[in-house]
Amino acid sequence: MSEVIIKGLKKVYDNKVTAVHDVNLHIADKEFIVLVGPSGCGKSTTLRMVAGLEDISGGELYIDGKLCNNVAPKDRDIAMVFQSYALYPHMSVYENLAFALKLRKVPKDEIDKKVREVAEILGITQYLERKPKALSGGQRQRVAIGRAMVRDPKVFLMDEPLSNLDAKLRNQMRAEIIKLRARINTTFMYVTHDQTEAMTLADRIVIMKDGYVNQIGTPQDLFNKPVNLFVAGFIGMPVMNFFDGCKLLLEDGKYYAEIRGVKFELDEFQQKALKQNGQQPCNIIAGIRPQHVTVGEGQLSATIEVSEMMGSEYNIHARSGDDEVVMVIPTVDLHTDVSMGKTVQFNTKPALIQLFDKESGNNLIWYDKESADADAPVCKVYQF
Amino acid sequence: MKTKMKTGPFIIIMVIAIIIAIYTLMPFILVVVNVFKSAKGEFGIANDPVGLKGASFAQLGDNLSRVINNSNFSFWSAFGTSALITIICLVLLAVFGGMAAWVICRNKTKWSTAIYMVFIASMIIPFQVVMLPLISTFRDVGNFVGLKLLQSIPGIVFAYLGFGGAMTVFILTGMVKTVPYDLEEAASIDGCSYEGIYFRIIFPLLKPSIVTVTILNGMWIWNDYLLPSLMLGQNGKVKTLPVAVQAFVGSYVKQWDLILTAALLAMIPMIIIFLIAQKQIMSGMVEGAVK
Repeated sequence: MSEVIIKGLKKVYDNKVTAVHDVNLHIADKEFIVLVGPSGCGKSTTLRMVAGLEDISGGELYIDGKLCNNVAPKDRDIAMVFQSYALYPHMSVYENLAFALKLRKVPKDEIDKKVREVAEILGITQYLERKPKALSGGQRQRVAIGRAMVRDPKVFLMDEPLSNLDAKLRNQMRAEIIKLRARINTTFMYVTHDQTEAMTLADRIVIMKDGYVNQIGTPQDLFNKPVNLFVAGFIGMPVMNFFDGCKLLLEDGKYYAEIRGVKFELDEFQQKALKQNGQQPCNIIAGIRPQHVTVGEGQLSATIEVSEMMGSEYNIHARSGDDEVVMVIPTVDLHTDVSMGKTVQFNTKPALIQLFDKESGNNLIWYDKESADADAPVCKVYQF
Repeated sequence: MKTKMKTGPFIIIMVIAIIIAIYTLMPFILVVVNVFKSAKGEFGIANDPVGLKGASFAQLGDNLSRVINNSNFSFWSAFGTSALITIICLVLLAVFGGMAAWVICRNKTKWSTAIYMVFIASMIIPFQVVMLPLISTFRDVGNFVGLKLLQSIPGIVFAYLGFGGAMTVFILTGMVKTVPYDLEEAASIDGCSYEGIYFRIIFPLLKPSIVTVTILNGMWIWNDYLLPSLMLGQNGKVKTLPVAVQAFVGSYVKQWDLILTAALLAMIPMIIIFLIAQKQIMSGMVEGAVK
């Protein structure tokens, strides 16, 4: 068992700046959790507090059931992969891999066996005698991962490990990490600002902003059930379309979303959820993912400003009133002229419209006040 | 883009450089020429210190033999003392100078900045200003704590640590700044203690600059005359090589053949070390100057 429990974790720096506010998180044994968010959101600080590299200003941190607030990094039984790799430049790859084991006074033959085993898994056996400066970026990254693997830690921490690699290598290494995870099967805590990494690697994602956790959930949850405007806008590429000045209407016991004067009758699930919440008609911001827009029919219209042919799909940037609308249309589904300057009709399924309260920015269906008040916000669960 | 200097200015600069080099080397050349000669005679050092007439290898052998076997000079004893003091000082300066540089660099507080400024300020104070108060302070402190700080090896080592510390810390601080902090964090997660991080990670990475300061300090301590002559005294039991050379200098008679031969013997170890390590000195001097 190597679960990590974070209760009310807080980081306040000497200059009184609070970098992390009351983070609550329960990372299960062998779970792969990804902390994601824009620069300065507190994700790395949270990870560094778990690693013991930053003092904890408030709250409690348990690793494998043991309170670790004041435990030195070396005694937490964790391993960390740094963004800069942090390989010891004066040591060979072999010495880098063996370093932690030597410090723990592991017998030499056992160190040798372990180092060679890990090198074999990562495909770096031929580089064992080289110094880090004689390796490429990808090879250095493997050594950095190997250095963490060799110790069989309880928790594997990774701080933006792929951000120094070029796009192609990053894709390769991401796949390597997925394979590696299946192989070593331990608890992972991974920090990134790249949502693609987060979506592809994580069992659950923790999305942070300004030191607060905005939502904790599976990649599907975050994509389909964002609890607020920030989560909806951060997850998904291209970014979700937001239509300001919309209304949630309640007529004859049925809820409607009015977007640009067009009324969409919400689907059965949305009706039930809004009823259960006792939702009153209000001003809303409607969110529609670019992938959920269809072109060629519907009552909404937009003028195409840019049309990007991406191969399998078109990314269309259009203007509808004051709003910019992005549409991702698979090439095979496109039967309309989408050249620049054309005005096209577009539509979406009501079930795919996200409804955000104009005032608070919270999702009228998925925002769960109870979990948000407990500083561990998840999307609301309905049982009809 | 590499720019090529025009031939005219290049020749002028080279001529000036050669003149300066000869001028700088002149004392050394005089020493080398005159160790082959006797002090007296028509072509002796006293009458013809520049000419090569009268120079012979036999005379060099005779001079060497007289210097090494001179009971007042006691070459091997002085050589041993110089070597001992130099080695102890260099080791301590490297280890503690690196530690000080590391702590000053990594703990950015107003105190660490103030301490660093004190180190820098101490570099600009001429030794001659503090030498007399230093001796009386060492005598008083020695008496107070019950340690013999004057005319003793620990005393002069302590003094050298103080005088050499500033430049050592100054150069090593520049080098520590180039060591990524991530390495220390990685080491602490790998299982290193605070001391372990210094000795296993930081100290090895400071090697180029440590070699530089070691050679610069080594040349200074080995060749230094003024501090040992004040702290160890001319007639004390403990003498370094430069002080011991005084044995050939009397009030009325100066044995130039033996003085110069002893000086050459004292110079040889440093010349050898400098020639071997000069590339390292230069690389250490400019370390961190560019990315």
